[in-house]
Amino acid sequence: MNWHAHLPALLLAVPLLGAFATPVFNMGGKTLRNAWFIVISSSVFLIALALWHQVSVNGIQVYVMGAEQFALSLPSGMKLPVRIILEVDALSAFMALAGSITSLAGAWFSLSFMDRFTGLSRFVSLYLLLTVGMLGMMITGDLFNFFVFLEIASVASYGLVAFWRDRPQAIEASFKYMLLSQLAAMLVLVAIGFLYGRYNVLNMAAIGSLIHMGIVEKVALAFLISALALKCGAFPMYLWIPDAYGEAPASVSCLLVTVSQASLYGLFRVCFSIYGLAMSNKVVAWILIIFGLLSMFIAVSMAVIQHEVKRLMAYHAVSQTGYMLLGVGVGLLALGNSQALAEYGFTALKGGVFHIFNHAMYKGLLFLTAGTLYYMTGTRDLNKMGGLVRKSPWTAFMFVVAAAAIAGLPPMNGFASKLLIYQSSFAVHPLLTVVALVTSILTLASFVKVFQTAFLGPEQDRMADVKKVPATMLVGMGILTVAVLLLTFFPTWALSHLVEPAAKALVDQAGYIAAIMGGAF
Amino acid sequence: MWTKVVTGFGYWDVYSWLIFLAIASFFTLWLRNSGRQDYKEGTYQDEIYFSGNDVPEDGQDISVPADSAYWGFIKVFRPYYDVMLSVHNGLAQDYLGYFVLSIAIITALIVLL
Repeated sequence: MNWHAHLPALLLAVPLLGAFATPVFNMGGKTLRNAWFIVISSSVFLIALALWHQVSVNGIQVYVMGAEQFALSLPSGMKLPVRIILEVDALSAFMALAGSITSLAGAWFSLSFMDRFTGLSRFVSLYLLLTVGMLGMMITGDLFNFFVFLEIASVASYGLVAFWRDRPQAIEASFKYMLLSQLAAMLVLVAIGFLYGRYNVLNMAAIGSLIHMGIVEKVALAFLISALALKCGAFPMYLWIPDAYGEAPASVSCLLVTVSQASLYGLFRVCFSIYGLAMSNKVVAWILIIFGLLSMFIAVSMAVIQHEVKRLMAYHAVSQTGYMLLGVGVGLLALGNSQALAEYGFTALKGGVFHIFNHAMYKGLLFLTAGTLYYMTGTRDLNKMGGLVRKSPWTAFMFVVAAAAIAGLPPMNGFASKLLIYQSSFAVHPLLTVVALVTSILTLASFVKVFQTAFLGPEQDRMADVKKVPATMLVGMGILTVAVLLLTFFPTWALSHLVEPAAKALVDQAGYIAAIMGGAF
Repeated sequence: MWTKVVTGFGYWDVYSWLIFLAIASFFTLWLRNSGRQDYKEGTYQDEIYFSGNDVPEDGQDISVPADSAYWGFIKVFRPYYDVMLSVHNGLAQDYLGYFVLSIAIITALIVLL
């Protein structure tokens, strides 16, 4: 067996080692700690890239912890899988790639951005633990392990949101996040308990192969949807997000975007890979669609009136999640009807999945530019900014790239994914497209406001002595800018190599189950 | 071949759009350059028109703060925003309440329908 077979385990083991070894490297000084941080983050990205390539070439990768053979999910003649199994299909690899890119960008950005604060050993450890939790949620094939990784990510993020503990607002934001998140986690645990009680298995593919809808399964589904909708930020459960994203250091907010998307991934995995065709009626699809519409419109309308730059961007993060819920909800609506799936369902899924990747890149970049504005000026209040394009033209350029992408302006990548969602949702009902278009217009209006108030206008006296943007922060933003521009100028490549395989994996419940259950399915 | 987004209802091409943008920019700049021929730099023609008001000496006084942006939009939708701001009140117990209510509604919909 070659080392490629161990990539799923390495994807989790490397950042885990990084997190726990950071205090040791910290004893060697700042330079060694920073080098360790970048080496680990870069390694995670390279492993995620290699894993994505491996999945693209060889199909679903299965990794069984502690088995006779690493790829043997049903050893010793067993009929059901019992060990911890990592199952990486095209969707998991796609998500892990997006997560590792934002993690790397955030790591570079943190080097200078966090330099003036103390406790950086703990910061780096928590940041890498957050990365482990996020990646674990994306590649595990086991429901209970999903819960464990969800908790690892949650606990790390509570610490990171409250990292500036001298700010009461940060402590309050972390407390609110913890309160809601723990209730959601308990719901996930109860739902997993229901399913385990019914089927005696925790493996997602095994549950998917056995499931039939009864009251218990329906309650478990409702609990999982509610909890994961809270974690990914759907109306009216997103209310913790503006506080948490707003108060966390910018690099953490950048990573939290993909952590929330890991919950969204969990929601999609539950709906498509576990329940799938067993959900005969369309209630869940309409719940996702309505969540999507409400989230996108209400959050963007709240963003328009914000004057605190990170809170404004946090509302936009919720709004963009609405697009993904809409796209995948429309796809779920068509599931089981091959004609509808071919006509609009698969296009909607592609749009929703493409938007996940796009959103991770441009929203991460927007949080980093917001962090740069804070670093330069010492304030997050847009009322106190102005004329900053003269001080940092590169930051302004990268902000414009990200703002144009999130607003869905052609030819940016955000437009390409939104176009797929607009056209497919129109086939279900024109009102869905109208809400999505209005949301896009309000998004543009909101970011025009940010650009005008922060970057344009006459030079302000109070902005005369702003700090210069360090090179490592520019590198962090540059990584995401390059990603946005590549997705913008090569959308066909992105769709055919990244998005379509991921969307196909989402609808291919039988393939997901067969990778684990094999002949037993 | 790497730039076309096929939606199933049609397609959209990045480079076609960029070419269109370049052509439109060319004609816009051409029209602008062939505008007023009687313009003279350094005369009254350079003065800022500030809605008929006196232009403040200090440029900082004419910048629009973020709070004032879209004031008309916000004024029109004030009743909507009053409701929304009461929902986003920052109270953790209210947020928990909305979550519990959402769980109840979602569970009822999935179990009963």
